[in-house]
Amino acid sequence: MILQTKDLTKIYRVGKEEVPALRGVNFELDVGDFVVINGPSGSGKTTFLNLIACIDKPTSGEVFIEGQPTSQLSEGQLAELRKRKIGLVFQTFNLIPVLSAFENVEYPLLLLGLSRAERRRRVMALLEEVGLKDLANRRPDELSGGQRQRVAIARALVTDPKLVLADEPTANLDSETGKQVMAIMRRLNEEHHVAFLVVTHDPVVTQYAQRTVKIRDGQLFDGGRTNGA
Amino acid sequence: MELKLLIPLRNLLRNRRRTLLSLAIIALGTAMIYAVRGYVDESMLNIRAGTVRQFGNFQIASPLLWAEKTENFQYLIPPERVSQIAEILRTIPEVTAYTAQLNLSGLAITERKTKVVRATALEPQNRALDYNDLVERGSGLAPADRATVLIGRTLAEELQLQPGSFFTLTTTTVDGAYNVGPLQVAGIYTLNNAIVERQLIFMPLGYGQTLLDTPGVTKIIVKITNIDDTDRVAALVQRKLTEAGLDFEVRTWEQLAEFYRQIRGFFNVLFGFLTIAVSVLVFFIVLQVLTLSFLERTREVGTIRAIGTKRYQVFLMFFMESVFLGLLGSLIGIAGGWLAGQGFNALGIGWTPPGAIEPVPVQLRLELGNALWPFLISVMATAFSALYPALHSARLNVVEALASK
Ligand SMILES: Nc1ncnc2c1ncn2[C@@H]1O[C@H](COP(=O)(O)OP(=O)(O)O)[C@@H](O)[C@H]1O
Ligand SMILES: [Mg+2]
Repeated sequence: MILQTKDLTKIYRVGKEEVPALRGVNFELDVGDFVVINGPSGSGKTTFLNLIACIDKPTSGEVFIEGQPTSQLSEGQLAELRKRKIGLVFQTFNLIPVLSAFENVEYPLLLLGLSRAERRRRVMALLEEVGLKDLANRRPDELSGGQRQRVAIARALVTDPKLVLADEPTANLDSETGKQVMAIMRRLNEEHHVAFLVVTHDPVVTQYAQRTVKIRDGQLFDGGRTNGA
Repeated sequence: MELKLLIPLRNLLRNRRRTLLSLAIIALGTAMIYAVRGYVDESMLNIRAGTVRQFGNFQIASPLLWAEKTENFQYLIPPERVSQIAEILRTIPEVTAYTAQLNLSGLAITERKTKVVRATALEPQNRALDYNDLVERGSGLAPADRATVLIGRTLAEELQLQPGSFFTLTTTTVDGAYNVGPLQVAGIYTLNNAIVERQLIFMPLGYGQTLLDTPGVTKIIVKITNIDDTDRVAALVQRKLTEAGLDFEVRTWEQLAEFYRQIRGFFNVLFGFLTIAVSVLVFFIVLQVLTLSFLERTREVGTIRAIGTKRYQVFLMFFMESVFLGLLGSLIGIAGGWLAGQGFNALGIGWTPPGAIEPVPVQLRLELGNALWPFLISVMATAFSALYPALHSARLNVVEALASK
């Protein structure tokens, strides 16, 4: 098991008011899974993903990555964990605008301190897999939305993570491009045996899921297994 | 490597107008400090050279003279002591020349007017203190001269004296007797200093001794090969004097020239203020610019932190950006300051300092040693201004940073 959450709750405090965003979430993800969590806006998807990504702390409960509890880890240890085990894909792509596609994908490898040759090999391999080998030198603002998201996917996978988390990866794309992006993610999931957890309110995305889970008002409801598209 | 180099450099190119503004401010500040440094340095060198010309590198006299306590002439150095001192000086290779000097004062009297004057009596054409260089009209003093003097331009105007004119000098001898000497003006000197030109006259040592009725001298003035060796050679001479049992004290030009120390102190304060003012200005303007441009990257910071960049790495990326900005701006400032300074020097602008009679040229000493301090100051002011914004960015909450527009 790559990921497990136990009784995860998150309560935001706004002034004197308490906003419960997650109410006791138990969730498991296996190696190589492709799971889509589907729910309306405000249901707690981003909150949940942030907790799993170890960039936010739960109010109570625990996140286990590869069986290891994360709540006691230091800021530095969490950064290390994110760097090595987790890949992230964002709704707004979040590429570094001053870096080329190649350099954006290379960035996590710089953090890992890999050699120049090794970095080049890995970056080019992934850019090829997402079909952007020829656009490696373009800056993000010279790429279309779909191309940017493919660069982001390559960046998420370049470190060979155990788990890729994607928050509404198609929300800023037209539906055709969204489908292409989902197809790429699904293919990489199979080829790299890396687990994907995608949260979305886009029903199209669920077509690509191996397993769909519904989220509403901070609670999960298992939607059962499918074969994906 | 690339994190601290590539990304900061790219980010500098990101908003070119903003970067250019910062560079201009940094460069301007650097150039200003450089120019003032160059002016102060050139002025101090000139004043130093002028002071040494006036005082020699160091002087030897009785402690009584330096203590300025005696009203009578007890401090005078008798002839046999003068030769003992001269013997010591001859053993020191750095000493290029020395001369005995006798100081006296009196009244210069013509048919129309009377003026208080101070006289410096020297061996004519000695190589330690050659006032003949300053003669503008008439001739200098020759070794065979007796009752001839050099007088300043201002005194000549006031007493209406020309080269060849005569006037009378009344003095008091070392025994308190009244003495009168008829003197002929050999030449008129200029020093571009109204007070000196009004008061100071030069005469042969022998005639000064006649006027005071003494074989003694006030002090011995020593010239050495290199100004920078002054303190060392002066200390050596002092030691030899003491070893020889001679109760005389060495004073260097720097100890003697109080005005030199005052000017240096004044310049240091002026330069200090300017440095502080300029760096504070650079600091605040660059702080504004960097704060703005770092804030615009809040979501980027959230992104790179989320994918595993550590806080110190974020800090370094932003901080290095300011270091590059500072280095580049300062280099531009030095280069621009050098060019502008050369242009300024070529214009040959002059000003008349207080007490001077003629304008002196304002020149900037632009040697690279004078660029080092302005360079460092600007780089530091820029780097300091990045400290807080970079720290702020490094400490952003990841989730909030990601959620920001
Ligand atoms: N920083 C926050 N402060 C207060 N309330 C928040 C904050 N972030 C999210 N929420 C609230 O928590 C709930 C879940 O939000 P979120 O996880 O962003 O949902 P989703 O991603 O599914 O749209 C919503 O009601 C939202 O208003
Ligand atoms: Mg959301």
